[in-house]
Amino acid sequence: MENQEINKKTNFSPLYDKYHRILLVIPIILLIASLLYLGLFYSKHSDILIKDISLTGGSSITVYEKIDHNKLQQDLSSQLEDVETTQIYDIVTREQKGVIIATKTPVDQAKPILEKYLGYKLDESNSSFEFTGASLSSGFYDQLRKAVIVAFLLMSVVVFIVFGESLLLKVYSIILTLFSVNILFSNLGSVHSLIIFLLLPISILSLIFLSSKNKSKYKWPIFFIFLVIYILQFFVSISILLIPLAIALAAIYLFFSVPSLAVILSAFADMAMTLAVIDYLGMKVSSAGIVAFLMLIGYSVDTDIMLTNRVLKRTSGTVNHQIWSAFKTGMSMTLPAMVAVIVSLTITKSLSPVLSQIFTVILIGLFFDILNTWITNTSLLKWYIERTQRNKK
Amino acid sequence: MKLKFTWRIWILIFFIILSILAIGPHFSSKGVIIKSIQPNSTAFNEGLKTGQIITQVNDAEIKNVEDYAKAIEEKFPSKDKIKTVINTKDGQVILFDNQPPQITISNIPRTRINVGLDLQGGARALIKAKNKSLTSSELDDLIAVTNNRMNVYGISDVQVRPASDLEGNNYMLIEVAGATPKDLEELISKQGKFDARIGNETIFIGGQRDITSVCRNDATCARIEQCTPQQGGFFCNFAFSIYLSEESAQRHADITKNIPVENTGQGRYLTQKLDLYLDDQLVDSLLISESLKGRATTQIQIQGSGKGATRDEAIKNAEESMKKLQTVLITGSLPYQLEIIKLDTISPKLGDSFIFSILLAGIASILLISVFIFIRYRKIKESLAVILTSFSEILIILGIASFIKWNLDLPSIAGILATIGTGVDQQIVILDESIQKNELSLKQKMKRALFILVATYFTAVVSLLPLMVAGAGLLKGFAVTSIIGITVGILITRPAFADMIKKIEE
Repeated sequence: MENQEINKKTNFSPLYDKYHRILLVIPIILLIASLLYLGLFYSKHSDILIKDISLTGGSSITVYEKIDHNKLQQDLSSQLEDVETTQIYDIVTREQKGVIIATKTPVDQAKPILEKYLGYKLDESNSSFEFTGASLSSGFYDQLRKAVIVAFLLMSVVVFIVFGESLLLKVYSIILTLFSVNILFSNLGSVHSLIIFLLLPISILSLIFLSSKNKSKYKWPIFFIFLVIYILQFFVSISILLIPLAIALAAIYLFFSVPSLAVILSAFADMAMTLAVIDYLGMKVSSAGIVAFLMLIGYSVDTDIMLTNRVLKRTSGTVNHQIWSAFKTGMSMTLPAMVAVIVSLTITKSLSPVLSQIFTVILIGLFFDILNTWITNTSLLKWYIERTQRNKK
Repeated sequence: MKLKFTWRIWILIFFIILSILAIGPHFSSKGVIIKSIQPNSTAFNEGLKTGQIITQVNDAEIKNVEDYAKAIEEKFPSKDKIKTVINTKDGQVILFDNQPPQITISNIPRTRINVGLDLQGGARALIKAKNKSLTSSELDDLIAVTNNRMNVYGISDVQVRPASDLEGNNYMLIEVAGATPKDLEELISKQGKFDARIGNETIFIGGQRDITSVCRNDATCARIEQCTPQQGGFFCNFAFSIYLSEESAQRHADITKNIPVENTGQGRYLTQKLDLYLDDQLVDSLLISESLKGRATTQIQIQGSGKGATRDEAIKNAEESMKKLQTVLITGSLPYQLEIIKLDTISPKLGDSFIFSILLAGIASILLISVFIFIRYRKIKESLAVILTSFSEILIILGIASFIKWNLDLPSIAGILATIGTGVDQQIVILDESIQKNELSLKQKMKRALFILVATYFTAVVSLLPLMVAGAGLLKGFAVTSIIGITVGILITRPAFADMIKKIEE
């Protein structure tokens, strides 16, 4: 059985060897299309997603009565700002259990309007109210967005620590990452000055260290970037520093660990493509939805790390053989996860828009993760290994 | 077959037992548990205590909250003081009162798992100062005042705690479990600035500096005085006594000394009134009788009114207004205005069906995944091991959550469901590595699998960390349960699972 598989694989290998770079075109086109779509979306809505009331401020009122939710939405659309209704129902009997009314109108104004329309008083025996003030929600959105960026930066540096080679560069990238996190979460105060203080000596140290290695051709560009960051932070608004910091980190990952960059790039592509689909579907993203993007980071690097580990630390067999076996393991990981998510989505859809949005985002994300792990990441990794093998010869 | 457990499997079993103990399920208890008691009420004075379990009221057996409500509703409201016999597991208490026992009760929880507001109902409010950012000591004061107000007003089962966010804003987070108090919003958002003025001169303000005590829950000095029909509804007046400090009383004497007296239809009063302001709004103006002129009186009667469509409603509103005013007078005011920036009041109505569907989602996911694994690997024992490991992981998460008294709100539950997903992912890595046909020994294969697991563990933890601090901690639950889940996974369940697979494969 196993032998047959290897044989099958060997027949397939030459084709794969020849075309794996061409396969890369698919995710590249999708990624560019997604980024373009997001750019277009941004120019239209001045944001990369449509926020729901948990992020814009407003009320979500759940009335536990049988109400025609479409009619209610139509009838009240002139009185309640941006009103939207969803039905909740029993998962087994499909019987309606109530209706969720989301609107930008504050609760104290929305409640009398609803009571008048429904003809009865709303209290805790027949309804729930959730109100988020606009001042809280805008700060909330800002922070969650930063949390996603920070999570991504932290994930990247961990991946580099796992697969990168030079210890000093690892320390270096940790410090740069902390520096960026510090800029994003600007109230870490004392850590801030320490990092700035450490930046220059570490840049010089790494310069000396890099010169002694054969990778010295990158030492000047990288040292230059660090020097610029170090000097800039005395003169410019600190948030602008994020751009050179991001460039520096990306440069380290690119020049010193292509496998790490491949993992990070796949995770980025997962998120960008998922967001593009969410936007395309016209979904309003809640705070829970953004949390789902955080989860997606964790979910998407799982298979990438497994693949990279198998291929880089392979003990036997060809690269293709390792990729194939990793693929089988990876699909056994992703497919059950998708099954679990689909089941949870079907069940929670009836009751909780919060949970169902989390599962929708993850489901779309897992779908793109299959593509990005097994084409984007795999092709980049294979390309990298072929190049190092050629260099050795 | 002789089962030989490795130490890792023993650790798993040990933690499962600990978790079951922490969750502490029990199924047989009847009765309702006292969650809180209004201090100085009849129930309090007769010796009822928080945590006691009521099994019988008069002759009716009490199995749950509905039974208790029925037994109490039959007797109250009552005009006269009547006898109520309450049997608790610790003994019998007899109350004589004209109002229901001032206690809050709930069904005896079947486990020690704390479910959050999303599941059991309740209210949550996030409060900040208007146009001002609070320092942490100001926040502590605010929390102390709010706690005090809740106590004085008689709202119990309430948690008031500080919250902050990444932008350095400080908030006060208030959570009330179970029923939502009707006046919560007003009570927590009021600055509570009370002052009594004659003309432009302040005589006294709310709080303990000027007011030494406030009469309440005592019909001799705090009561509803009279109700009159008016404009198609009813008006009820309330009055209660307060006692001023010597200093304020002297101030009263000094100011009233120079005010002339005039004859009105009802008697002789000063020409100026004592105006009562709450948050800079005039709530009442009291006539000052001639006898008080120039006297350092320490006892003052505060009056007010409530209206309603019916007599009962008017009485109730007057009582509530009186209670609010008493609360503010006792607790004093805050030096700034407050703003409610989030207010959720959640009905307990759907709690049960919510829990049911979440359990259903969890169990269905695990079962389907193990069916999938069985189809993929054709190994029944391994599939069973996956089910076993996943369930014990959830059990341990719930055990730890009960132990640290973590409130399982909606984000926390999403976190647990997410952990099932990553947990199974990792079990598959182990399973798959171990059955790979290569020249590595089983031990080396396991080592390789564990390396992947440790790497993914750290990426997952770091990507969850920002959530611990973002957004006033409202989504913290997700990060907490997820981190507990994956940590339990990497330290306890995954090593045990690896050993199980080793045993099965050997």
